[in-house]
Amino acid sequence: MKVIVKKTTTMLLIASAALALSACGTIKPVQPWEKGNLAKTAMTFENDRLESRYGEHIYTSRESASGGAGVGGGGCGCN
Amino acid sequence: MTKIIEITSVPLITSTGPETLPASSDMQTIGAALLTAALLLPGVVKAETPPEHASLSLKYLNYEEKQAGLKRITANSPSLSLTTPLGADWSLDATLTSDDVSGASPRYHTAISGASRMNDQRTAGDVAFTRYFPRASLTVGTAYSTEHDYESRALSATGNFSSEDKNTTWTVGLGGSHDRINPTNLIVKNETKKTISIMAGVTQILTAEDIAQLTLSHSRGEGYFSDPYKALDRRPRERNQTTLLARWNHHFLGTGGTGRFSYRYYSDTYDVKAHTLTAEYVQPFSQGWTITPSLRVYSQSAASFYFDPVYDAQLGAPFPPGYQFASTQPSSADQRLSGFGALTFGFKVSKQLTSDWTVDIKLENYEQRGNWRLFHKGSPGLAALKAQSIQLGISKQW
Repeated sequence: MKVIVKKTTTMLLIASAALALSACGTIKPVQPWEKGNLAKTAMTFENDRLESRYGEHIYTSRESASGGAGVGGGGCGCN
Repeated sequence: MTKIIEITSVPLITSTGPETLPASSDMQTIGAALLTAALLLPGVVKAETPPEHASLSLKYLNYEEKQAGLKRITANSPSLSLTTPLGADWSLDATLTSDDVSGASPRYHTAISGASRMNDQRTAGDVAFTRYFPRASLTVGTAYSTEHDYESRALSATGNFSSEDKNTTWTVGLGGSHDRINPTNLIVKNETKKTISIMAGVTQILTAEDIAQLTLSHSRGEGYFSDPYKALDRRPRERNQTTLLARWNHHFLGTGGTGRFSYRYYSDTYDVKAHTLTAEYVQPFSQGWTITPSLRVYSQSAASFYFDPVYDAQLGAPFPPGYQFASTQPSSADQRLSGFGALTFGFKVSKQLTSDWTVDIKLENYEQRGNWRLFHKGSPGLAALKAQSIQLGISKQW
């Protein structure tokens, strides 16, 4: 029961954080002509795919935690 | 991992801004022209238009790790990546990697004596097709990798949906993988590991200089998770993982640079909890030079079945105190399942040679230690692990 309560609380926290981020109404909408800086490559979340891949592969091989940014990666022996 | 959201690299609106318009004192005309130019600008999140250019990148990674008294793994990995639009509504992304890995790996904890020598070649490739719709896109991808004792196949589908003003993008994804394991010591044969992953995320433009993203992922895996080359390594056949990733990029008007920050919370059914913080700062200079210093801080708790390097008085190493030979209880002395903290410092320099060619170099220094764990106590008695890597890259777009 304790686990269920804990999990539900976590999910609720996450849901509210997601809602806060999409923040209907609290964020002033940015107009198309104000997006010049946002379009810069450095402002993207994955601007160097091979560099990200190397990082993910190395950290997956050396640490317990992995993933988070997407789905679809395959596994490896990595011993 | 397949990318989930990629912001298109588009010509900056300033390049079609007022300076290129015929001189006019009529502010309304300029305003209308600006609006027209802005509407031609593809959405900031890649949900609705294919990339404008094709690009091909080649990178080479050299990675070396060591602990006191033992040079561990060395890896040399060339990689190739291709992104290209296919007509007006499609794009293709593909990567190919080859890892040549050799060196020594401790059989338990960080014990040097008896460390197993290994040499492996891994070849991995993936391909993904994206179809673009007004305010949405769908990506379907597949990945394959092979080593002499391990084979992995994966499939994924990811959808992006944008709000009308393109300031918010929602992402959902579903993926699955099927791995086959045939260790050379024949400790098991034709073992498998299957995982199913789901994710949901939202990307939000907060201001003209800030964009943030929140992604929740969950994966359920079953099968052979043990390390066949480690002593007494027996892990639960089920491992479920949950991650929450928050990312935020900020453009500094004063310097023209970009700060990129992320935090990831990770939790799994092995009772590992981990926190990862990253920060990097991208500073462009004149003549196409860019430097990017970066920092990563990581901390994890030990798996519930990890045991410290304290051994049974009679049996000695690697047996934990009171070890029962007939026991089927999970146990592991793998350093990766211990509690530790880790720090990475990185520095990247890139130079745009012409409008089409870019070269870059990145150096990274990594160290992990039991007593660097940020929450509670680290796992005692293990040697610190240090690693250095260098990446060289060249890319061309057309």
